[in-house]
Amino acid sequence: MNWLRELGRRIRMLVHRRQFDADLEEEMRVHLEMRQQEHLESGMQADDARTAARRQFGNVTALREISHGVWGWEWFEHLMQDVRYGLRMLRKSPGFAAVSILTLALGIGANTAIFSVIDSVLLSPLPYPQAEQLITAKQNDSLQNVIDIQRETRTLSQGGGVNIERMDYTGGPEPVQVRAAYVDAGLLETLGVPPMLGRIITPDEDVKGGPRNVVVSYHFWQNFLSSDQHALGKTVPLSGNSYTVIGVMPAGFALPGERADVFVSLWVAYPEAAPYRGVHFMRTYWRLKPDVTLSQAQADMSTIDRQLAEQYPDNERDRETLLVPLHQWLTGDVRPALLVLFGAVGLVLLIACANFAGLLMARAVARRQEFVIRSSLGAARSRLIRQVLVESGILAIIGGAIGLLLAIWGTGFLVSLKPAELERFNGIQLDAKVFLFVFGVSVLTGALFGLLPALSCARADVTESLKEGGRGSTASPFGHVLGQLLVTAEFAVALILLIGAGLLVNGFSRLRSVNPGFNPTNVMTMHLQLPATRYAEIPPQTEFRRQVLGRLNSLPGVETAMVTDVPLGGNYVAHSFVIDGHPSVPVGAEPRLQTLSVMGDYFGVMQIRIRAGRDFTAMDREGQPLVAVVNEELVRRFFPNENPIGARVDWVRTKGPRQWMTIIGVAQDVKHSGLNQPVDPALYAPFSQSDEAWRRWMTLAIRTRGPSPGLVEEVKKQVWSVDGQVPVSEVQSMEELMSVSLAEQRFNMLLLALFAGIALILASVGIYGMMAYHVGQRVHEIGIYIALGAQRGDVLRLVVGDGAKLAFLGIAAGMAGAIGLTRLMISLLFEVKPTDPATFAAMAILLAIVALAACYIPARRAMRIEPMVALRHE
Amino acid sequence: MPRGADLHRDEIPPGTLYLLILKTLARSGEMHGYEIANSIQRVSDEELQVEEGSLYPALQRMLVKGWVTAKWGTTAGNRRARYYQLTPAGRKQLALEMSQFERVIGAITRVIEAV
Repeated sequence: MNWLRELGRRIRMLVHRRQFDADLEEEMRVHLEMRQQEHLESGMQADDARTAARRQFGNVTALREISHGVWGWEWFEHLMQDVRYGLRMLRKSPGFAAVSILTLALGIGANTAIFSVIDSVLLSPLPYPQAEQLITAKQNDSLQNVIDIQRETRTLSQGGGVNIERMDYTGGPEPVQVRAAYVDAGLLETLGVPPMLGRIITPDEDVKGGPRNVVVSYHFWQNFLSSDQHALGKTVPLSGNSYTVIGVMPAGFALPGERADVFVSLWVAYPEAAPYRGVHFMRTYWRLKPDVTLSQAQADMSTIDRQLAEQYPDNERDRETLLVPLHQWLTGDVRPALLVLFGAVGLVLLIACANFAGLLMARAVARRQEFVIRSSLGAARSRLIRQVLVESGILAIIGGAIGLLLAIWGTGFLVSLKPAELERFNGIQLDAKVFLFVFGVSVLTGALFGLLPALSCARADVTESLKEGGRGSTASPFGHVLGQLLVTAEFAVALILLIGAGLLVNGFSRLRSVNPGFNPTNVMTMHLQLPATRYAEIPPQTEFRRQVLGRLNSLPGVETAMVTDVPLGGNYVAHSFVIDGHPSVPVGAEPRLQTLSVMGDYFGVMQIRIRAGRDFTAMDREGQPLVAVVNEELVRRFFPNENPIGARVDWVRTKGPRQWMTIIGVAQDVKHSGLNQPVDPALYAPFSQSDEAWRRWMTLAIRTRGPSPGLVEEVKKQVWSVDGQVPVSEVQSMEELMSVSLAEQRFNMLLLALFAGIALILASVGIYGMMAYHVGQRVHEIGIYIALGAQRGDVLRLVVGDGAKLAFLGIAAGMAGAIGLTRLMISLLFEVKPTDPATFAAMAILLAIVALAACYIPARRAMRIEPMVALRHE
Repeated sequence: MPRGADLHRDEIPPGTLYLLILKTLARSGEMHGYEIANSIQRVSDEELQVEEGSLYPALQRMLVKGWVTAKWGTTAGNRRARYYQLTPAGRKQLALEMSQFERVIGAITRVIEAV
């Protein structure tokens, strides 16, 4: 505790140091005066008395300094002196200060923001206990197989499956659809997150005819159970049945990559599907036993696959279950984009560091004479070095502070862009560690490069340097070459970024101009789901659909049709099919297509063109010959040299007689699965002729003449006037669906473009700073050049030529680098080759122009040099 | 540079100067710098010629260490002066330095008087 009290005294002294100095001075003066008085009294002359007193006392100034130094704050006072001096120097060169601070702020801000996002998404653990043990199968599986695997496995401790379906919740003011997870008892157990209230479904409840129990999400509990602490035991109506709430999951819990509002046993909620081994519709999650590796588990799984294939050849002959770590599976979609950004961030950081280093170095070289003079006047080398460090420290702190603000803003901006893939990752926020790292790297680089010239000055021979400096020639060839290298490297890196961004922009603009095959303007879509309890058969379904369509189409200015799933909505049903008269295909190898049921004038509402044959009419209904319209891709693929009109197709059926549908028309291709996805063969058939009663859902496509507020409410009213228990969900316009489909690409493009922009600014600042400094150093030389008769054009060529040399070297290196690196972006590019020559050329030219412009400003200064002034100047 | 050298000497732990100051203050209670200097000279029968100014760095050091406290007061001649007073820590330090000093002197004496 003694040292603490001592520190307290020292700090008190620091705070009151003026008082302390004054006290000390007065005390010493009093001492001298008393001694002088004594001498006078003993008969000395006044002058002698003072001299004697002083001799006895010693060197007053030195003693005062030593006394002051005893308190141990000299370093601090020197530091403050250096800071004040540094601030004064920076105020005298505001351009240098602004550029350095801007460089640091941009570099630190952008890097921190991106690193934070990447860190949260790619590097953070999943929100499950011992998440590193969790794996998932790439292929979905059936409940029966999951049960067998659970029994047979020797490497997996737990496992379970889930299938997300919609259920109607009719307990609120409006019927709504909730996302229901049909699970087996193993699923929640495997994920390992305990419920907030109550319990999860147990194995003895997870059986055919088990109790109708439900575990609800926090979200559901909040919205539909009004956060009731006593919600357990209450019943909720779900799809016509009453379920008892047995548990509530905590707020942070979500299935991997999916949202679910309620969790019910598959056996209980959907007993029709549970026993079928061939219905592979569950995503499965497994937990590795301790000390088991993924490859051991994979080998184990392959053994089980072979056993199942032997036992159930009909369904499981081609089983091949591939296991992947859950984390990898979840981040798989965003990983390439984020890794490219990661690379981009690193490159921008490199440029920022190089720039800061280059600036400090140029400045240190320019101040060489100052340093040499100071050191020849007796300044200690350590003091000179400290001065340099303090100055870069001031820049670093200001730049870092602005960078921090930029980073906070930038992280918010990135999250607000909300590409769908990032949405599942909650809690993306600024990472302090990342900020400190980036800050540290940039500051250290700057300090290091800034120090080199200071060190060499401190060592330099004074007279030699002064002579040299007096002539105004380039001071340090070492520093100059290093500076040139830095600028060249900056250009190379900036070009790589520009080309990367250019490729993405190119791909994005192609994607935007992709014809989706329909007209999305003024089309609203809504999803309807019929409850199984009252709409188990086709006729009531058809009746409902006809009534709804009739009512909606009687609204003024509205055209409505129905389809199972709208384009870009993310869903479709796929069937295997056969063509009448074509050579037969082995069982199990039949081609697949998208099947879409429609009612009403779907092609008319969506403005999908009929290329051949005819559209459906009101006469194509139940009891009439079965008809179908196919898309162009199906014709290209399966009727390359035939007229498809009149051909007959049917689904692959395991039982029942063939029900051939006759192709009556060919519709334009529609980008159903995404604008950047290929078009699959598709077949449209009337809802009313379908024999698949499980298609109890439909999506309304409603075209209006313009924006129509109140449309949604009106549509809901009409639907509920037909049946008040049918939920209306997923209300979105076709244009929203289009932009969602573009969102991911736009996110990638925006970010990389942002980085390329920053890189471009930094690189041009770099070359500008370099050339400006260079011209400043050569004023004398250029003056002579002009005096000897050089024209302005010659001077311009001289300066710009110097800069251009660096820029072109950098561009050449950047091209080479880009050819190597853009290949990594291949999965992000739409219809653009990673070595697209047009993009390469355009970006190189852009960079060259910027470089020349950056050189032109100092060159103009050089042209204006008056030879007489320049020569007299030094 | 003489400054650096002096500073360095100040850093050397217990110099005799501290001992002298501590002892002087212990004997007389409150004193200002001038009185301390006079007292040391007088008591040592003018043998010890201390550079008077060097009292002050030493006193500052003792303030930092908490061996003495200082407060402004008025002299008999009605002048403002800073008076120093020993603290309990200062007394302890004095005892420590005394015993150290005696040990060193004893050792030196033994060396010198050895045959």
